Amino acid sequence: MNTNEIIPRLNEVFRDVFGDSSISVTASTTADDIEDWDSIEHINLIGAVESEFGMRFKMREVSGMKNVGEMINIIAERGK
Amino acid sequence: MVFSRLFFIYIFLPLCLLCYAVARGTKAKNTVLIIFSLVFYAWGEPVYIFLMLITAVVNYTAGLLIGKYQGQKGDTAATVSAVVYDLLMLGVFKYSGFIVENINALFSSSIPVPNIRLPIGISFYTFQTISYIIDCHWEKVKPQKSFKNFLLFLTLFPQLVAGPIVRYSTIEKEIEERTITLSDVSYGLNRVALGLGKKVLLANQLSIIADSFLGNIGSSTMLGAWYGVIAYGLQIYFDFSGYSDIAIGLGRVFGFHFDENFKHPFICKDITEFWQRWHISLSTFFRDYVLYIPIFGKRRKYGGLFLVWLCTGIWHGASWNFIIWGLYYGIFIFIEMKIGKKNMKKIPVVIRHIYSKFVIFVGFGIFYFEKLDKLGTFFKTAFGFGKNGFIAVQDKISLMNNMYLVIVAVICCFPIISSIKKVSDKHFVTKATVTSAAAIASALILIVTSVMLVDATTNPFLYFRF
Repeated sequence: MNTNEIIPRLNEVFRDVFGDSSISVTASTTADDIEDWDSIEHINLIGAVESEFGMRFKMREVSGMKNVGEMINIIAERGK
Repeated sequence: MVFSRLFFIYIFLPLCLLCYAVARGTKAKNTVLIIFSLVFYAWGEPVYIFLMLITAVVNYTAGLLIGKYQGQKGDTAATVSAVVYDLLMLGVFKYSGFIVENINALFSSSIPVPNIRLPIGISFYTFQTISYIIDCHWEKVKPQKSFKNFLLFLTLFPQLVAGPIVRYSTIEKEIEERTITLSDVSYGLNRVALGLGKKVLLANQLSIIADSFLGNIGSSTMLGAWYGVIAYGLQIYFDFSGYSDIAIGLGRVFGFHFDENFKHPFICKDITEFWQRWHISLSTFFRDYVLYIPIFGKRRKYGGLFLVWLCTGIWHGASWNFIIWGLYYGIFIFIEMKIGKKNMKKIPVVIRHIYSKFVIFVGFGIFYFEKLDKLGTFFKTAFGFGKNGFIAVQDKISLMNNMYLVIVAVICCFPIISSIKKVSDKHFVTKATVTSAAAIASALILIVTSVMLVDATTNPFLYFRF
């Protein structure tokens, strides 16, 4: 899967999880850019992304993600 | 050795700074730091220093093995062995008495309770080694090849005994190479003075109020219980954040940039925010290494949350009140999560402030009383079911005598210094004025602190016992 396919689907997930239709994620988006994105919401987000792309993140990935770009790379590798 | 002792301030530190300045090159400076750090630790722990050194050897070796067998079975084996060793040491030296006591109580057995003294700083340095090992395993950092450098990371005396829990990744590069500017030194020394002031001028004084009202909770009134617990909460904050200021300040003088450990926690509007501002190095540790543990399946959000707060409680001490205290916070975080951030924001700010401060200070009550019957008396007294009424003469006298102390303490909970800096940095004249004023203030704090410490017999930091 390539980045162009992933971003629109990922964006929907973000809007849904954070209840904000103005969100527009890019590879460089970080938790600092989205006000409500804290450690608890991160679990919600990971769960939602996993079910959207039919895949599982490893703990090191969940814990170590620095920006959306890293998430996209993992999805590109293993997502459906 | 304790930062807030004249020996440290006027002999140990100047001597260390002198040797550090004389030493040429990072390697020599590192040697100076290691020697002084080991002396610093051995001063209070002449025996357990060997435990720390063994822990250093074990984790250093495990790090090398993880690097050698990256991604293979050997990597996992080394990771698991090191983490198990670290947790086992913490378990034996911190919790064995507590575990045996509870087994005895549960099964009416009479296993002799081991009387093991807690090695200073073990809770902090163990978490540092665990984070190092897991980060090596996750390939977030490269294992440190030099034992000397690893020892420096672990023993660096500013942060050795009571945090912040400095991650290897934070100072990885600075261990090998760092530059120290004059502004680093000036910032660091100001920060040290600030921390000393918080500890000696505020925390130590507040502790007198806390101990006289909470220490004798059986004879306290309702007002006395609240007054005592507020003084205690402020005491812990100034004690622990003062320690962190000194640690961060000293780190900076030696060229290290540690992460902040406190960000004015009492200005928070809810409990979730409180924990983003309080003892940050501990909560981020649990966030990164516990919260996302994949053992709860679909319930991982709640399972992870429960585990984090159970661990937070247990980490603070081998006593039921700390476990209750941890889970108590877990419940409020859970409730806030259920209400949702959007709905939380709809609640008027004043109400959120009252709610959060109420929860936090009741929490400090739970934190204070290690004996559960005393904790029960505290709750009865604080909520109007005590036997000593609402107010008594001793409350009024103490309030009158300590009015200025409490007012200054409350004012110091706000981010005053950063607010002043934000405004003054805009113009060089105001910037120079504020910089000079800060230097004078630091010198004054140091003088007053020293005078107060001449008579002080003992004043260890509260977090030494964790």
